[in-house]
Amino acid sequence: MKEELLEVALYCARCNSETSHRLVYAGRLLVSTTCLVCYTKNEHESNDLWDAYLKDLPHRIATKPLRIWKRILRAPALILWELPKATIRKPIGMIREFRKLKKRN
Amino acid sequence: MAVVVLAAGSGTRFGHSTNKVWLPLSGRRIISRSLVNASRNFPLGRIVLVIHPSDADLANVTLEREVQGVRVEIVFGGATRHESEHNALQHLAPAIRAGEIEVVIIHDGARPLATPQLFLEITKAAKQFGGAIPTIPVDSRELERMQRGTVVRVQTPQGFLARELLEAYNKAAIDGFIGTDTAACIEKYAPSITTLTVSADVSNIKITFPQDLAIAEHVLALRRYRD
Repeated sequence: MKEELLEVALYCARCNSETSHRLVYAGRLLVSTTCLVCYTKNEHESNDLWDAYLKDLPHRIATKPLRIWKRILRAPALILWELPKATIRKPIGMIREFRKLKKRN
Repeated sequence: MAVVVLAAGSGTRFGHSTNKVWLPLSGRRIISRSLVNASRNFPLGRIVLVIHPSDADLANVTLEREVQGVRVEIVFGGATRHESEHNALQHLAPAIRAGEIEVVIIHDGARPLATPQLFLEITKAAKQFGGAIPTIPVDSRELERMQRGTVVRVQTPQGFLARELLEAYNKAAIDGFIGTDTAACIEKYAPSITTLTVSADVSNIKITFPQDLAIAEHVLALRRYRD
């Protein structure tokens, strides 16, 4: 999944109703949520987020080969077409994630 | 046996918002985690996913990518939770009437942290007693003195004998009754069923508030992403 920014219906305690929220992700970790009605923002504390990100990263890396293998089995032609591009894009994506986390420090 | 996972809520009333069950949670969608946990101990069971019709394409892509090795049947839900449960039970009705399904487990798709073990315990208890629901105690300071010891928080998965459950929902449909959860319908239309409360875990949260997503991420990290 590549979602970095999503809008989703969640319950806002301040509005006391279900409202649309904007969610920001870094990698597969949630960075912040913002209610689009009252603009209440919930953020991970930055040190906490770095800590969580660094703990999550080895798991992401360790499970990557298996995930790629599953995709190969599912759609070999598609993965062979996409893999070179994804390999080039990955470091850029990682830099974006680091920047997103760094901005919050 | 059969497991029904409810995910028919719609985010469309807020414009283009997504239903929360389709959100990513530590690399996999919430609904995928719910389905994988629900099906883990029941390789021969029927797994039914109840969705909003507008989510059909998303559901197919998600199942193909994230819920491999599990045969999931998709049913469209209704305007209420009760109606979605009814639709799922009608889908299973021929097999229930034929005696192929003994127990039906109903689970909320927005509870991705319900463990496979909890599903197993609920199924065993439902087979033995007729019905089973997972509960956690309420802090007694939140209650009136008279309520203490008698009030619990109820979670899902909830399990019931299939024939009785189907019959209860058919009667409810005739009466136009809409229950808040499965147990409420059973209580009204199948009072002879004994529903056992199974001690559950507080970490089996329902994703409701934005903060719940952070809690769920943390719980999954503590479990090393195993469940």
